[in-house]
Formats: sequence, structure tokens, C-alpha cells
Amino acid sequence: MSGHKFRTNACGRVPRRAFLADVGMGFTGLALGAMLHRDGFASGAAAWSPPNGLPHFAPKAKSVIWLFMIGGVSHLESFDPKPALNKYGGKSIGETPYKSVLDQKFLDANVRTAVPDQRKILSQLFPLQVGYRKRGESGIEISDWWPNVGDCVDDLAVIRSMWTNDIDHGAQLQFHTGRNKLDGFFPTIGSWVHYGLGTLNENLPQFVVMGNPVADCCGGQEAHHANYLGPEHDGVPLIADPANPLAYGRPTAGVYREEQAAEFEMLERLDRLALAEYPDDAKALARIKSYELAFRMQRAIPEVFEFQQETAATQKLYGFDKESTTPFAKHCLGARRLVERGVRFVQIYHGGSGDAGHWDAHTNLRVNHAINCEQVDKPIAGLIRDLKQRGMLDETLVVWATEFGRSPGSEKSDGRDHHPFGFSVWMAGGGIKGGVVHGATDELGFSAVENRHYITDIHATVLHQLGLDSRRLEVPGRKRLEVEHGHLIKEIIA
Amino acid sequence: MHLPSALLLLAFFAPGAALAAEQLNSATVDYVTQLKPILVARCYACHSALRKKSGLRLDTADALIKGGDGGPAIEPGNSRTSYLIEMLTGESGTRMPPESEGAALTAEQIDLFRQWIDQGAHAPAETPQADPREHWAYHPPARPELPRIQNATWVRNPVDAFVAQQYDELLLTPVPEADKAMLLRRVYLDLIGLPPTREELSAFLASDSPTAYEEVVDRLLASPQYGERWARHWMDIWRYSDWSGFKEEVRDSCRHLWRWRDWIVESLNADKGYDRMAMEMLAGDEIAPTDPDTLRATGFLVRDWYKFNRDVWLQATVEHTGKAFLGVTLNCCRCHDHKFDPISQVEYYRFRSIFEPYNLRTERMPGEAELTKNGLSRACDLTADVPTYLLERGDERRPNKEIAITPGTPEVFGSSLKVEPIELPVLEYYPALQEFALKEDTAQVADHVAAAEKAAAAADMAVAAAQKQLDSKSPADAGASQAKLIAGNGQSVNPAKPGANQSNSAANVADSRAELHQAVDRAVATAELVMKQLASARAAQVSLAARIAADKAKYGLTPGADLRQLVSAANQAQRELALCQAQEQQISVAQELAISKAKLKANDPASAKTVEAAEKKVTDAATALAKAHAASAVAGETYEPLGAEIPHQSTGRRLAFARWLVNRNNPLTARVAINHIWLRHFGAPLVDNMFDFGLRSPRPRNQALLDWLAVELMENGWQMKHIHRLLVTSSAYRMSSSSAEATPVDLTADRDNQYLWRMNSRRLEAEAVRDSVFFTAGDLDLKRGGPDIAYNLANDTPRRSIYFQYADEKMNQLLQIFDNASVNECYRRNESVVPQQALAMANSDVCRNQSRLLAKKLSESSGQGDAANGQFVRTAYEQILGRDPTSTESDECEKFLETQTAQFRNAGSLTPIESNIKATVAPSGDPTQRARESLTLVLYNHNDFITVR
Repeated sequence: MSGHKFRTNACGRVPRRAFLADVGMGFTGLALGAMLHRDGFASGAAAWSPPNGLPHFAPKAKSVIWLFMIGGVSHLESFDPKPALNKYGGKSIGETPYKSVLDQKFLDANVRTAVPDQRKILSQLFPLQVGYRKRGESGIEISDWWPNVGDCVDDLAVIRSMWTNDIDHGAQLQFHTGRNKLDGFFPTIGSWVHYGLGTLNENLPQFVVMGNPVADCCGGQEAHHANYLGPEHDGVPLIADPANPLAYGRPTAGVYREEQAAEFEMLERLDRLALAEYPDDAKALARIKSYELAFRMQRAIPEVFEFQQETAATQKLYGFDKESTTPFAKHCLGARRLVERGVRFVQIYHGGSGDAGHWDAHTNLRVNHAINCEQVDKPIAGLIRDLKQRGMLDETLVVWATEFGRSPGSEKSDGRDHHPFGFSVWMAGGGIKGGVVHGATDELGFSAVENRHYITDIHATVLHQLGLDSRRLEVPGRKRLEVEHGHLIKEIIA
Repeated sequence: MHLPSALLLLAFFAPGAALAAEQLNSATVDYVTQLKPILVARCYACHSALRKKSGLRLDTADALIKGGDGGPAIEPGNSRTSYLIEMLTGESGTRMPPESEGAALTAEQIDLFRQWIDQGAHAPAETPQADPREHWAYHPPARPELPRIQNATWVRNPVDAFVAQQYDELLLTPVPEADKAMLLRRVYLDLIGLPPTREELSAFLASDSPTAYEEVVDRLLASPQYGERWARHWMDIWRYSDWSGFKEEVRDSCRHLWRWRDWIVESLNADKGYDRMAMEMLAGDEIAPTDPDTLRATGFLVRDWYKFNRDVWLQATVEHTGKAFLGVTLNCCRCHDHKFDPISQVEYYRFRSIFEPYNLRTERMPGEAELTKNGLSRACDLTADVPTYLLERGDERRPNKEIAITPGTPEVFGSSLKVEPIELPVLEYYPALQEFALKEDTAQVADHVAAAEKAAAAADMAVAAAQKQLDSKSPADAGASQAKLIAGNGQSVNPAKPGANQSNSAANVADSRAELHQAVDRAVATAELVMKQLASARAAQVSLAARIAADKAKYGLTPGADLRQLVSAANQAQRELALCQAQEQQISVAQELAISKAKLKANDPASAKTVEAAEKKVTDAATALAKAHAASAVAGETYEPLGAEIPHQSTGRRLAFARWLVNRNNPLTARVAINHIWLRHFGAPLVDNMFDFGLRSPRPRNQALLDWLAVELMENGWQMKHIHRLLVTSSAYRMSSSSAEATPVDLTADRDNQYLWRMNSRRLEAEAVRDSVFFTAGDLDLKRGGPDIAYNLANDTPRRSIYFQYADEKMNQLLQIFDNASVNECYRRNESVVPQQALAMANSDVCRNQSRLLAKKLSESSGQGDAANGQFVRTAYEQILGRDPTSTESDECEKFLETQTAQFRNAGSLTPIESNIKATVAPSGDPTQRARESLTLVLYNHNDFITVR
């Protein structure tokens, strides 16, 4: 009896060998898992087995498009209007009727950060840098930097009561793993989805990443990696360019299609011949399968980014007609095309700068946010409208998020500091209510005070809409903390 | 019974909330299934064999009844008077588990305890938890006796005896030896990370010497590639990382860390003992403070440098020293006593105190004074007087200043540290006096003087030439030749309006003469400045010599010297230098002012501004000069020393620790090292968790083998080549990895091969994959050592992978795809199978290029043309896979070549794959050769290429 004690190693993963030997399953997600099952390889699975690719209960959504703004978007100038800041701009918090926000128990207790005591609470209030107006039938107020997303507000559930506990940009990693960066690296939300659900398309990676990623200061690639779930559940970075969409996605110039096809075919034949001596070598079989997938992927992926297949109207809807919006428009339209082809999780970064991120507006917030918002507002709205007009929004969950908000006080400058105590994210589609606001910060936008949600509540909600129960995804020997599971935000479920 | 760690963890994090409501209603509470899991999860950490807080243990029902300092914890039959219930509910004023350990037990859980007590607190007989101090890994290994085994002929050396002992116990039968070619490839890749060449393969196959294999092993261990191969393994464990940061700002690790990498390679090749290596890495600066070769070893400590936070930095040092050398997890006891191992929080901070004084500095190395360009980054003690405090709950804002923390090691590992401060030699605490640095600096000032002398001579000549021009030329033709005049400072004097100069008008002649005069003036001015620069250079030379003499005397390097007199000479020389420099500055700015005035134009505010700035400089220079004048008249007792000094003493803490670490009685060091070596030869370790030999690590399957090897290592001067030789010449190592000939018992009793009845197949590590591609193609450059090469050159630079930059965000993509080590920590590599690996091998320019290059070479030896295809296939198999093809393989390959050749003959009908990645090696235009290139690529992609069978 070998039991199911999973060896782990310091690189933090359940080694493939353990998976393969113990449960006869497992490399590139369910795509190949399912193939191995078909091949009759996966025999003798015991008490625990990895997910079978089926949801745990009836899902509302099939896919997720996860839009993540790097650097910290000001909730105050986006989705959470606080007129009190204009009224008391320049005054210290203590001089306002709301000085009690500084006594909030939420304030200091949970902050954990690599550089201790690095940041003090900035007391001098900084007035709003942009106007707001009521939008849509719901009349939810959205700032003037988000006119197009604002027009879609009746499809959005805006959550104004998020909190996290890293006051520095490690919060970028944290938003994806649910754990403070000081705790190390853990599987990310996309990798859990990839791990939990089967594929809808055997020719594409199931967890795709686009845009400049989080920099190493703040978690780096670990913000879309799978850690102990294994590298087969890592997000696969794609570039929205049919000429070179993924690393080693095509050979150097001068190779013929027929030549390469013959090579792959020959390789499989030779690999199988050599396997005669090693009939129980699961990894060798897995490798043969991985070549099959690779071959199909290199054909299927470029096609996804052939945007000329789309009508001019569609391209315009996303903002292809403007230089400033085109890069993000490609990611958004690419995301729709990926989801259409069955990809489960598309994670799009905006603002990756090799450091803290472009949204990190410590100074000159007015210019910074005006520029950044303009780059993404049209493409994001285009995505929502396009999904809707194609009837895809019902089963595609769109999440817009950032690592934290920005401080109501200024840094004695014209910018705002990091602010983990209260901030906003929104969700749309995939069985989420539209035109609702959930939760609230205090009058100054300082702390989330009503229906507070730690970031993993977003994870829980995403998984729930996909029909997954994160507790049932746990890997033996890798017990997760309560806080990692999070709580479903019931109030925004349609 | 030892709880499997997974179960333990599960229980630990899932406090019995899971105990469902239906159980509440069941009549009788079952202690074993309902209560014990709660006790294990919530109470054991403080109340069991590990730590009996308040004298209370809760690991058996009897212990509950017996109680602790506060009396019995329960009174069977009466929950109302049971102390335990008071504590769980918090009625007694204190709640258990305390708030710091998380939430209270739920009301339902407490009710279960109540019911159980009221029902009489029945429990089956239980064995109390064993004393954690008795854990196997906490006792020094003793050399076990060699077992007597049945199949004595199979046993080549003691390794086999211990392996075979378990065959006898489990009735397992080892599979036969691997065939010679496979064994040769295995041992080559294992020891040097490169496959054998065809010549080496055929020589080995042809040899009938009974010691042919042993000779190969000796040759490989003696080859310099051995050090490179095994250095990479140890670099994983010791967390090698080149510096990383934002742009030029170093945030993690340090520049020039490659010197540590080279030290590892050289030490392994020289078979330096593991004990000595550990000591040099932890305390090289205390062992051999002035030996730059040894100082390189402290890269192990240098690597932990972290710009933003000293606590995070020292946390890493403590954690990874513990994991790498001792197999102990010193993480959680930063905040509280270790939950699993008998290590207290105080002991954690005593361990940290060993490293508290250490810091690092970059030494100058011969040939380069600029430390960002070259240097030696090394550890040294800089802050002996900084105290270590226990941080409450690990929070750096809450140091407990009431407990004095002294350096020490956890008591459970035995013996204590003997710390003695170490007096450092002069050249260690004052490296500015190193002979090479003095020589280089002296030569540099001499060069400046020589250059200044040359410039002065040239300036003199320029003045003479200008004067001559003015004197000898008649006013009429002065204008024409004026253009050629070159001023002493090498600047061409601009001819103003050359056309006008050539006219004969009287006004022009007058102009030309005026310009010639100006040229003379300029040359004179330049000469004046150059002369002053020469004076400065000479003064600098004198000053440096005087400072060297004074410094040498001050640090006792010139016995009998008159320090006072030398100091005053240095002082004087420095004053003179300062004066010269002030004068030079004055002349320079005065000239600048003159030039700017000459360029001053009306209605041009910019030019006015320049004049204004120049005037300000002149004023400043005058002030400075006045000061220098005043100062030059006052003799002093000080001078600028050549460099900075560090403390004259090192605390000796790290050396004491290093000695403790490699002491024969240390229970862990040798075992941990052996486990790492074993893993990398056999593909599976003897102790499953590479970095945790603590209580969560059950007794290894073959402890006798582990202990025998650990003792063998220590008693043979900790020499690792000896261990490698023992392992790779054993019968166990030589077995086939195929289970085709396994017995039914092998397959049923030990399907997962935990007892090693066959060899394990392994996937090559990332570096070995890349190196082998270049090597088999005959293109690998075996040059050793030197500064790290930019990671993005790795596809085109055929050096071994170990020599490329290796840090966060600075890592070769091909290596990353094949699971290279995380720079943060990697005690064991992953062996993933992902489609990206397939794409990299099939499409990368590395593999495409190298297969074309190799196909060309192979065709040269096997012959051109279709008739030679059979020979080509054989050579290709030998070269790439290290074996002959089977006849089926051969047939398949020849058929492939034939079809492909035919296809390429008709290339016009083929569809090229669009690609903007240019091939640096173009495919062959000859159809036969092109087909061969294709086959070569296929063989690089063969599973057997990246697998060690």
C-alpha cells in the first residue's frame, strides 16, 4: 500500500512524479487528463483524486475575463465618489466631522508589509481630481474618467467595500493568491479555475495571460502561476499578435508546414517504439501527449489574434481606431475570442511597468489617471457591449480589479498614496446582478465599513459562479487557511 | 503511532468545526474519533510531549485526568467541576486555546467535551506521545554494521548491502544491470552533465577490461566538468542568485556574485571537504581574512542582502542556513515556539544572533578600481554591538528588550557554541593598503604626471609656433596662414570669414594681425593652464606617496618609521595639492569667463547668462583660493587616509557556528548532505523532505544506509568524490530503469520503487538539456568561469548554462521552461511535462540551429547521398541518444529520410510556416541533407534525449 502522502519540495509544488505515480493522472490540466483516461492509463485511482473537470454544482458562468490594473487605481476618482473630500480638501482628517475614521478598528490591525512603518496615515485631505455623474438607469455615480464603462453601469455590480492587508504593491500578488506576500507564493485564482475545470478546447491553453505582468518587486510571474498545483496550471502568457503570440510558438523562418507535421508524427512513432521497454513510464506517455497539444496550440493560437476577421464596427467598438486604446483593445478583443473558443480564464494586466505599476499615482494623479483610464475605458466597455450583443455576457464573468485604492489624504503633493483599507472593484456578467452597488466606505472613503470584503471574497464569488467549491479543490497535504477560501458575495448574485 | 504529516496538517487547520451536527445527537461521545482530533489540532502544540505548558499534557485521556500544575483537568462524570471546561469556555478568566492561537472552540465542540466527561470520560488504552528529543534525526549517526544478505554476489560495496537487506525483508528482486551504452550515458550525465561522445561510447563498448566502468568514473570525477555539473546542484541548495533590482539599483543579492559560483566549481573539482566548504561559506572571512579566494565563499551570506529590510534579510539567512545545512525549518519559530520541533522562539533568536553582526562589503580587485565594474563581494562583521532582541510574535516593531539574547544553537541538536573573537590582520580591516592597490594608484598618478608633461611640452611649442607666425609673416599674408594655426591645447582657432581674410584691403590686414595676436594670447593662456595642471598632477603624486607612507607607518607596516613626521609630510603635501588645484581652478574659470565674454552678444539672454555663471565661478574660485592659501600656511596633524577601516575584530560567532555545524557529533549536517547527493544520483531521496528532518519527517525507509553514508562521509574527510564513487559504482546504481524484467512481487509489493529494485528514470535538469544540445552538436564552448553572461545571450552563446546571469527577471526562457531553480529557494527540482517544453525543443533557434549544424557534421562522417542514410541514422542515434537504433527504429528513420527527401525535391509544393524569427543557420538546400536535418531535430525532441534512463 503506498497511500497518498504527497511529497512536496521546496520549489513549492507537488511533484508531477507523485501525481503520476499515485493517481495516474495529471499534466496539462484536464485536457490531457481526460485523454489519459481515454487511453485507459488512469487505472487504480484511490481515495483522493484530482478534480474530474466537472463543476461541483450547476455553474452560472463558463469563463472568466479578469482585468487587473497594476499600481493601485484610485477608488475615489473612479467608482466611489466622496464629495466630503472636496468640502474638506486641505484640512486634516481631525478637523472634519469624520475624524473617527482614524479610530477604525480596521485601520492598523491587519497591515503587514515588508518595510515596516514605512507609510504613515496621510491626514491632509486631497480634493477629488475629477467629477462624477449618475449613469445608466440605475443612476450609479461613476467618474468622468470612465465615460464608456459608466455607460455600461447597468451591467455592473460595483463593490465599494474591498480591503486587503499589504500597504505596498505586494498586494498585487496578494490579490491573486489571497495571501500576503510575506507568506510566500501560492496558487492563483486562475490556476485554481484551470485546475478545477475541464477544457472546452483541446487546442488552446486554458489559462491565458496578456499584458505586461506584475514586476518581481510585487510577486512577478507568481501572480499568474500555480505554485504547488504544478506548472501545467500556470497562466500561459500570450501576446496579442498573430505573428508571434507565444514563446517558441513557431519555428524560425524557412520551415514548411508539411515538414513540421512529419517531424511531430515521426517523433511520436519513435517515442512509442522506445517506450516498449518502459510500459509503465507515465511521464513518457504524458510527454507524447504534450507534443500533440503543442502541435495543435501553435496552429490554433495565432488564429485567435487575427483581428482582421472582425468587422470594422467591432474593431471600433473596442477602440482599434485610436493609438492610445489599441493595445488594450487587442487584449480585450483577444479575450473575447479566447473565451469564444472555450478558454476558461483570461487574465489581462494593464499598467505593468517593471516596477510598482503605471497606476501608482503618488504625484500628478490628475494626469496619471486621465491617461491610464483613457487607455482602458473604451476597450473594457467595448468588451462588455460585445459580449452582450453576442449573448456571451451571461456566461462570461468579467472582473475588474486593482491591488488597492488610493488614500483620501495627499502626500503633500498632487497625488495619493497606497490605500488597502477600503477600495472598489466591479464584476459583470456570468450571473452577476447589473446596476447594483454593494458595500460602502466611510464618508471620506477611508475604510470599508459596510459589507466589508477581503479580496478572496472575489475569488469565492468567481468560483461559485463557475460551479466550484474551493474546499473540494484542496490538495492533500496543502490545507488552505480559512481566509484563502473567502466568502461568496451573495448580494450581487442575480 | 506517527500521524502522517498530511493528516496532521489537515487536522491542524480544520479545527473540528467539521464535526457535524448529527454527531452531537449521538448518544455516546467517542473520544478517539470526536475529541482527540480537536486536542491534536488545538492543544498539542503546547500540551503534549513537545512542551508541557503548566505541566499539563493532553495527549492521553489519562493525562487529562492526571492534569498539570493546576490539578486535574477533568473530573470524570462531572463536567461542571471540570477545569478543562472552564478553560475552554473562558469562565475561569483565562481562555484556552489563547486568543493568539486563534478562535475559541465552538460551543458544539465544548459540548462534546462536556458530554464525554459526564459520560465517564471513557477512552481506550493509549500510548503517550514519544519524547520529541528521541526523534531519530536528533541523534548523531553511528556506523551501522554491514548486514549479511542472501544474494552476496550482487553486492559490490556497502551501499548495495544496505539496499539488498531490504530486498531480503520484502522479497524483492533487483532487475538486471542496464546495458553498457545506457549505463555510460547515465553516469556521464550524472557526473558531468554532458553525454558521452560517439568516440567515448565506442571505446567503452569495445573495452573488455573488468574495470572499464570504474576507469570512466574516475576520469569523469577528475574532469573539470564535474565541478560545473555539481556546482549547479549545490547552487540550488545554497540559493545562488546574481543581483536583481530596478534598473541599476541593486535590491537583492549583490554584484560580482559569480566569484562565489567559481569558488563552488573550483572547490568541488579540488574535492575540498564538505565541512571545509560549509565553514568557508559561513565564516571564510574569519578563517582566512586576507585570502580573496576564500572570501569568495562567503557569497552564501552575501546573497541574502536585501535592500529594504534588515529583518527580512536575516530571516532569509536563518531560514536557509537551517534548511540547507541542518534540514530544519527555522521559520515559524520566529513568531512563536516551533509547533512541531523542540525549538523555542528564544532559540530562534539565538540562532539569528549568530548572524546579527554580519554585513557585507565589496573589495577592490586587481585591475579595476571602480567597484560596480569589478570587485569581490564578501561578508564581514560590522556591527558587533548591535543586540539581538526577541521580536514579540515576530513583529519587528515589538522587540522584547528585557531578554538578553546571546548567540547559540537549538539545544536539541546538542553541544553549545564556543565563541571567541578573532583579531583581524591589518590588510583585512584596512584593505586600502593592499600592495596591488598601492601599485595601481601610484602608477595612475604617475601616468597623470607623464600626460601633463606631454601636454605642457605641446603647449610650449604651440606658443612658440603662434609667436613665430606673428613675427615672421608680413601683415599682408598673415591672414592666409592664420587658418592653419593650431593652438597649444589642440583646438583649432577658427578662421573668421576666410574669404575676407584673403583680400588685400588694409582693414583686413589689420584684422588678421589682430587675430594672430589673439591666437598668441590664447596659446599662452592654454600653456598657463596646462602648466598649472602639471603642477597639480605632480603635487598629487607627491601627496599620494606621502599618504601611503603615513598610512603604512600608521598601520605598522614600516617598522621604525617616524609616524609624526610622515603624517606632517602627508598633511603638507595635501595642503600643497589643494593649493595647486585651487590655482588651477582659478585659471580655468578665468579663461572660461574670457571666452564667454568674447561670445557675449547683445539681445542674447543665453550668452549673458553664461557670462553671469562664469563670473560666479570666478568669485567662488577666488574665495576657494583664498581659503587654500590660508590653509596652506597652517601645518596640521591630519591627512586623508587611503581608505575606510572596518572593526579590527570579528565576533567569531559564525566561525564558532561553522565548527559546531561540521562537528562529528552534529546529528544532521552529514545526513542532510548525503540526502542531497543521493537524490541527484538516484532520482529519489532517502529522506523525502529535503529541508525538514524534524518531527514531521518519519524515520527514513533506509536509515541504516543514510547513517552509514553519513559516517563514511565524515570519516573520509567529508570528501564528496569518495561518496559519488561509492554510489555510482554500486550495483544498485547500475540497474536498468526498466521494469520489463521485474518480478510480480516487485510490481505488487513496491510498485513505486521505494526500495529501489530498479533504477529511476529522471528528466534532465534545464541546464543539462541546454548544454547537451550544444555539446552533442559539437558546439559547446567549455571555457570555465568568469563574470556572468547576460541571460538573453544564452541562445547564441555556446557556454555552459551555469555561466549565464541567473536572477529574478533575468533568466533564460528555455531554462525556465524546463523548471530551473527558483532563485528564492529550491531544494529539489520539479520535473514538469508541459507543452511549452515541446514547443521550445521543436521550434527554438537553439534546437533548429544546432540540429542543422550537427546534421552537417554527421553527414561528413557517415557519407552523403541516400545510400548512406543507414549509416547516418546510426551515427545520429549514437551522437544524440548515446545508443544504437533498434532495427525497427532504423527502418522507420530511413523511411522517414526517404519520404522527406522526396518531399523536399518538390519543395515548390510545400507551404512555408510564416515566421519573423530569422534562422541564424539556414536549412540545407540539398533535399537529402534537409531531410537529415529534420531527423536530427526529431532525435533532439526524443523523450530519451531529455531523459536519463
